[in-house]
Amino acid sequence: MLTVEQNEELTRVGPGTPMGELLRRYWYPIAFEQDFDTVPTKTVRLLGENWTLFKTPKGGRYGIAAEACPHRNASLTYGVVHEDGIRCGYHGWKWDFDGNCVEQPAEADNENFRTRVKQKVGKAEVMGGMVWVYVGPSPAPELPRFDVFVMDGVKDVGHATLPCNWLQIMENSVDPHHVEWLHGYYFEFLGQTEGFDAPKAFQKKHLRTGFEEMEWGILKRRVLEGGSEENDDWKVGHPLVFPFYMRVGGAGIDQMQIRVPIDDTTTWKLFYSNHAPEAGVWEPQDRPVVYEYRWRDEQGRFITDYIEGQDIMAWVSQGPITDRTQEHLGRSDAGVAMLRKMFKENMRKVAAGEDPLGTVREKHDIIPLPCERDKFGAEREFAEAFITMGSMRYSPNKQALLDLHADAWARREGAKAKA
Amino acid sequence: MLPPDPHRLPPPSAWFARDAERHLLDRPRFCPMCGEGLDTDGGITTEYWAGDARHFMTWCGECSWFGEVVRFDMVTITEAEH
Repeated sequence: MLTVEQNEELTRVGPGTPMGELLRRYWYPIAFEQDFDTVPTKTVRLLGENWTLFKTPKGGRYGIAAEACPHRNASLTYGVVHEDGIRCGYHGWKWDFDGNCVEQPAEADNENFRTRVKQKVGKAEVMGGMVWVYVGPSPAPELPRFDVFVMDGVKDVGHATLPCNWLQIMENSVDPHHVEWLHGYYFEFLGQTEGFDAPKAFQKKHLRTGFEEMEWGILKRRVLEGGSEENDDWKVGHPLVFPFYMRVGGAGIDQMQIRVPIDDTTTWKLFYSNHAPEAGVWEPQDRPVVYEYRWRDEQGRFITDYIEGQDIMAWVSQGPITDRTQEHLGRSDAGVAMLRKMFKENMRKVAAGEDPLGTVREKHDIIPLPCERDKFGAEREFAEAFITMGSMRYSPNKQALLDLHADAWARREGAKAKA
Repeated sequence: MLPPDPHRLPPPSAWFARDAERHLLDRPRFCPMCGEGLDTDGGITTEYWAGDARHFMTWCGECSWFGEVVRFDMVTITEAEH
């Protein structure tokens, strides 16, 4: 359990808060490329602040500025985008990519006034079909090119906006034990009640779990019933990538789960998947397939007959900001305690003027992350369950993904038979 | 006898509030390595339970000591298989 003060410190993400200052040292995806196909601007909310994200008409350069114009707070989202910045629609004040005021049409070229006002701006770049932004202090770190976003394959992104604090989603990532209960036992119960076959791969009991600090976060390992430390689940494991991702995958699917802290009580939750099964054949994609997954039904009840829907039930039902003064942690929650320590440690680093964990300052092509390939010892079943029993069941590309994996499986079996 | 409570407590209507008070007050408050205050110097202590034992996963913001302090009523030893 935590004190009221500790819970607030760990969950408040606005400007000037210790967690807000830490989180402002990282790049976040905040929109998709296709959001700008018909309009040049979009209002986005990140870390408790509203921003205008814009794309220049000819050069295709992205920029981000605080939404309120410093003149009289009108929205820049309803402004005019130029190649060298954005102009407020209200009185024409123009801002460049560095936040300098370069024109104030009604002020008769009063340069002294212009230089006194500055707009809050960040950096914006495209990677993997998403627009990423950095709204922290300069110099901005490099945008980390984690493997899933840049590797070859068929990409599929499910997303939804959830009414809960991002930290309770992160704490779920260092809680392996929930898998056998929420996605195993509860799923089986639901299947028996409602008449469907729940996936069996998630029902295996955990015999041992391990948490290890590494350069990108916390590496999580597990030994499941019937397995040993020789299995990928222990030998390789998969990481919580500090401070807002989890890398998972297996059976030819690589996935980054992304939890963007919109504000204290709202999180944009994305499942960014790359499908590249061994021996699979696919056409190059221009952009990932993007769609919203559902998590509440018409009656307002949580939809819990798929893996991520079950997780969402847990995260959202914990409350907008879960009250950690009322929790009772057990031995299996040691990873949760370790994650809180990691946040405190890195808040302190930022306060001391140091770069926090996972800051990338060097140019690079790809950052490979450890992730098991053989998941739960159930390759074919796992790939199919991942697609049909997870948020990908809402993908307009679902059948094509199932066909890709089935075809790759057949090719591998054929090759084995020949050998 | 517990010291005066320095923390803001959950609302009295919260079902765990009284217990919370006790748990907040009788946990480690100083680093076992360097003796700095764990609340005041950016450290964190998170309590979890294993049977009757109370484990405090502790990180000191001053010296970065990271480990566990355990309160127990009885010392027990688990024998390795033999």
